[in-house]
Amino acid sequence: MSENSSKSSPALILFAWLLVGLPLGWGVYNTLLSSMKLFQTPAAAAIRPASPTK
Amino acid sequence: MPLLSFLDREKSVAQPGFSRWLVPPAALAIHLSIGQAYAFSVFKIPLTQLLGVGKPLPQDWKQTQIAWIFSLAIVILGLSAATFGKWLEAAGPRKAMFASAVCFAAGFYISCLGVLSHQLWLLYLGYGVVGGTGLGLGYISPVSTLIKWFPDRPGLATGMAIMGFGGGAMIGSPLAIKLMAYFRTPTDLGVGKTFLVMGTLYFVFMMFGVFTVRVPREGWKPEGWTPPANQSAMITTRNVEVNAAFATPQFWLLWVVLCTNVTAGIGIIEQASPMIQELFKGRIGPIAAGGFVGLLSLFNMGGRFFWSSVSDYIGRKPTYFIFFALGALLYFFLPQTGANHLNNVKLFVAIAAVLLSMYGGGFATIPAYLRDMFGTHHVSAIHGRLLTAWSTAGVLGPVLVNYMREYQLQHGADKASAYQGVLHVMAGLLVAGFIANLLVRPVAEKHWLAERNV
Repeated sequence: MSENSSKSSPALILFAWLLVGLPLGWGVYNTLLSSMKLFQTPAAAAIRPASPTK
Repeated sequence: MPLLSFLDREKSVAQPGFSRWLVPPAALAIHLSIGQAYAFSVFKIPLTQLLGVGKPLPQDWKQTQIAWIFSLAIVILGLSAATFGKWLEAAGPRKAMFASAVCFAAGFYISCLGVLSHQLWLLYLGYGVVGGTGLGLGYISPVSTLIKWFPDRPGLATGMAIMGFGGGAMIGSPLAIKLMAYFRTPTDLGVGKTFLVMGTLYFVFMMFGVFTVRVPREGWKPEGWTPPANQSAMITTRNVEVNAAFATPQFWLLWVVLCTNVTAGIGIIEQASPMIQELFKGRIGPIAAGGFVGLLSLFNMGGRFFWSSVSDYIGRKPTYFIFFALGALLYFFLPQTGANHLNNVKLFVAIAAVLLSMYGGGFATIPAYLRDMFGTHHVSAIHGRLLTAWSTAGVLGPVLVNYMREYQLQHGADKASAYQGVLHVMAGLLVAGFIANLLVRPVAEKHWLAERNV
């Protein structure tokens, strides 16, 4: 037995994915913005200690 | 109750033509909602300042009291998943998702009452017990349904849902912050109203999952797909009943596999912010450390989808071998990236990100591993019982990390080198997981369910 009649509308499938994808995308975007702070430490090089290690 | 008869399993059987690609969004609606639990920490400070409105008064609740709300929710998650798993298999995913949504929303409403009347026990009961029950039911509710819809890609299917649990915190955290800011007045921090709105929003969102989910009709299989003729011996074509599975060595070996993988991951999550600041003192401050935590949560979520999808191609056992072998090496090497040795922040971040992806991957791949071992018939119920490994790791991980670190500091180790011992213990745990995974064999025939009972 397999899918062979009155298939689910592609628009419905798209809507379903958008409904979950948009909030998830919003959450990922916010987290990405927060993650950027790791790479935005302009003073890092200046305050970097004179480390004996290489 | 006739009013709720639409929740019955027989009412949720898919009609011919129903696309299986509607089922993952239904599952995601549930997991994205209940994943909010991992964002509960945003309420920690406001809940300690409810009476003082912005500054704690002596009568305000203490952080230690507030911490119990989340711990209780996670313990109840494991217990409810273990307890209600068998009921779920009979009742069907729609009823279980509905029950999950009711419990999860009710948890917020009861907590709202607790905030308004300043009674902490209502938050323990609401978010902790009632909400925690919703978490457990919701976590396992779509698992067996997804596996039945995607017999060709069970790892991908369950990975998508469990990825949602990782992503839920990313939505829940900014949502709560924005709502509290919106409802804040000079006399109220807006926590109660935020609980009320979040409970309602999540209930509505979860209803989308409830109304969309379908179970495949008897004998359905994907168009053009036939089960491989030469299937690996590690993938059963039979089924094992949940109580019988509970008595097999395979169940307990997989319990150890999940527990060690999660415990090791918590070793990093628990200490991520202070660890990077102390290993790179003077180079990484609190703000950059917050960015590091955010980056880890992205890899935790992405790893759930990536590794569970990979497991469809290379197999579940090899996937966990990678987690344990590569993980042990990376945990062992991680302290060497610190300022006292290589002094390489990028390398530290890259290793931690890979480790966290494997932590998430461990969660997401386990349902497909269970399906390979025990068949699809009771896989949600078996998964529910296995989640007690998560609850155990949730206690074991922080205790191990904090006590070991404290012990080393008391014995003269400096803050940076105290992490070395902790991370080496985590590497040892992964070796134990490797051995457990090595010992996993196909389930003996005596445990198989007779075909007529399936």
